Amino acid sequence: MKASSIQQLKKQENFMGYLFAFPWLFGLIVLGAFPILASFFISFTNYDMNQAPRWIGIKNYVILFSNDSIFWKSLGNTVYHVAIAIPLGLMVGLALALLLNNKIKGMSIYRTLFYLPNVVSIVAMSLLWLWLFQPSFGVINELLSPFYKLFDMEPLRWHQAASTAKLTLILMGLWTAGGSMVIYLAQMQDIPISLYESAEVDGANWFKKTLYITLPLMTPSIFFNFIMGIIGGFQVFTIAYIMTGGGPSRSTYYYAYYLFDKMMSDRAMGMASAMAWILLVIVLIITIIALRLNKYVVYLGEES
Amino acid sequence: MKKFLVLFTLFVFGLVLMGCNGGEAEGKIEIEFWHMSPVGSESYSGMRAIITQFNESQEDYFVKGKGFSFWDYWDKINVAVSSKTAPDIGLSTIDDVVSRARAGVLFNISELIESDDSGYLQIELDEFRQSQLDFATFEGDLFAMPFTATTRALFYNMDMFLELGLTEEDVPETWSELKTVAKMFDIVDDGTIERLGFDPSYGDATYHGWLWQKGLDFFDEELNPTLNTQGHIDVLNWIIDFNDDLSRSQLTSFGEANQLLGLNPFAAEKVAMIIGNDGLYQTIINAGADFSYGVAPIPIPDEDGIRVNWGSGFSIEMYDNKKNDNDRLNGAFMFYKYLLSKEVQIELSEVNGWILSHISAMEEFVEGKPIMQLLLEEVNYAVDKVYVPYAPSWHGNDWQPYYTQALDRSLTPEAALLQARNHYLEKQQNYNTVN
Repeated sequence: MKASSIQQLKKQENFMGYLFAFPWLFGLIVLGAFPILASFFISFTNYDMNQAPRWIGIKNYVILFSNDSIFWKSLGNTVYHVAIAIPLGLMVGLALALLLNNKIKGMSIYRTLFYLPNVVSIVAMSLLWLWLFQPSFGVINELLSPFYKLFDMEPLRWHQAASTAKLTLILMGLWTAGGSMVIYLAQMQDIPISLYESAEVDGANWFKKTLYITLPLMTPSIFFNFIMGIIGGFQVFTIAYIMTGGGPSRSTYYYAYYLFDKMMSDRAMGMASAMAWILLVIVLIITIIALRLNKYVVYLGEES
Repeated sequence: MKKFLVLFTLFVFGLVLMGCNGGEAEGKIEIEFWHMSPVGSESYSGMRAIITQFNESQEDYFVKGKGFSFWDYWDKINVAVSSKTAPDIGLSTIDDVVSRARAGVLFNISELIESDDSGYLQIELDEFRQSQLDFATFEGDLFAMPFTATTRALFYNMDMFLELGLTEEDVPETWSELKTVAKMFDIVDDGTIERLGFDPSYGDATYHGWLWQKGLDFFDEELNPTLNTQGHIDVLNWIIDFNDDLSRSQLTSFGEANQLLGLNPFAAEKVAMIIGNDGLYQTIINAGADFSYGVAPIPIPDEDGIRVNWGSGFSIEMYDNKKNDNDRLNGAFMFYKYLLSKEVQIELSEVNGWILSHISAMEEFVEGKPIMQLLLEEVNYAVDKVYVPYAPSWHGNDWQPYYTQALDRSLTPEAALLQARNHYLEKQQNYNTVN
């Protein structure tokens, strides 16, 4: 075949490739990149959404870091949420996957049941848990009442008390651990049975097989869920917006909630955009650190 | 069969296209009006009838109404105004008209009135309260018109009063009477509140509302935060101590239980007295409640009390999207005048149950409605909150965390007020830095 025909064919293929990728590229550039770049510009302006943005340099960033106590409060709340919710979510998801990685009758039904909360709207889920956690007549306090009596305790006020509100939302979030469970299960089923058989020959019990075979081989999916959890965790908003309104005493006033209020209540779009960029940098730094640690904690196959 | 299916599909497609061709609007200038009567709401058909009535009287203009729920409306209108996609006419809050007028997103209503030679209706300015018109005025010109005249009052359950041998004479007029009477109604069973007489933090009662009755406020005339006087502390203490025989967790659980059940505690006969606005009248009707009740002025402090309540009315505004379309502007102004005419204001009140701003229209509307008559009387004592540019939500997001901490006693009133004041000062300082 002549070189020019090959070139022509390449061009045609490239064209077709771009044509098929066009919907995604259009979305990325017009619906994704433009707002991202616009928000970067706006973060250096004073913009109340009525008058045109006015350039003020880095003042928004300076104010947020040096003279905005709620910024630090909301960031602290979010870090607390991420620090507890992510490891806990990983553990519960993994435990569920280990539990459901068995060949017993009706296993697909159990797996579906655990995954089901992920298809429930987060608004409906929040309202449901509001009922369950309601201190006076909620099911959870009803179930715990013998425990309260035994230890002569006041019933927990869950989302209504500043001391327990954040943990309540974290506990509620575990209901959707079935999402990561599916990923773990998929990887667990890829682990060669021969490894377990060899271990059995060596006399390994279930615990040892899990510790020395399953978990090390699961690290790529654990790492994936960890990164996704960090990114999602820093954006926590909806459950607090619906269940607690950021309270009590701003105890569930998360970073994204404050960003939303800066934009909608204070009409400070410039400040809100600056917050969005700070959040991006925070998540980026954590992700980069995690990726650097990747090679030490994630099993990527035997070196030859 | 295949042919039939193809023909049937084409027929359905044709019908869909016919439905999309604009119908009545064809050849007319389309005016967009945003309101709070969405499809499915009780007021939707009434609002639609009012718009249709206007459309049928017009040869050149066609108004397209778009209803949003109260909760969705604010974000949508704010974003639309910012992106220059606002409707021709919409509702907003009257206390911050000036900020929009200053930003140039509103048409100058005074100029439109002055240059109006259409001969179609007139806005009768003397039919609107000056106190409300002042909020809609920027640099001497009107940039909006008052639409609703919201008011707050004390709603009391007459059946519960009679049950305890009390009469209309016993309806409290002062803070001390309010507490004495309220305590008679409390029923607590096994630690759970079954019925509550009154709580000054429930319903539409607000801290700033109670402050106003004492001649106090959050801000001074220069909009600097105050909140640090003994008067402020005393009022907050009065609210906290009102139900000091009950814990805050009992009160919060009682309030949340009603909220989760979608009940208004007064309409559900869970509280004997509550501060409500004119919307509560409609809520009680919609709830199908059959108890007898009355409305009275909000009780005032025993000494030097001021009869005042928080108004929080809506304005009706014409948005300037910089399209320079005079025909559309003329049509929109005609519809604007129509909405502010006496007859239509009465119809709108019947549809929404709101007290609207047209004085004589409302006097006519409340005839034969004793509760509404009393509420209308309270409109004369209604005051709108001040707009604070550095803290537009000063009474909401900014204040609530400190208020709830004071209520549940995790902060002393002194500390809560001091922290709130510092918060406002911080916001003021930051606002001044970037403006």
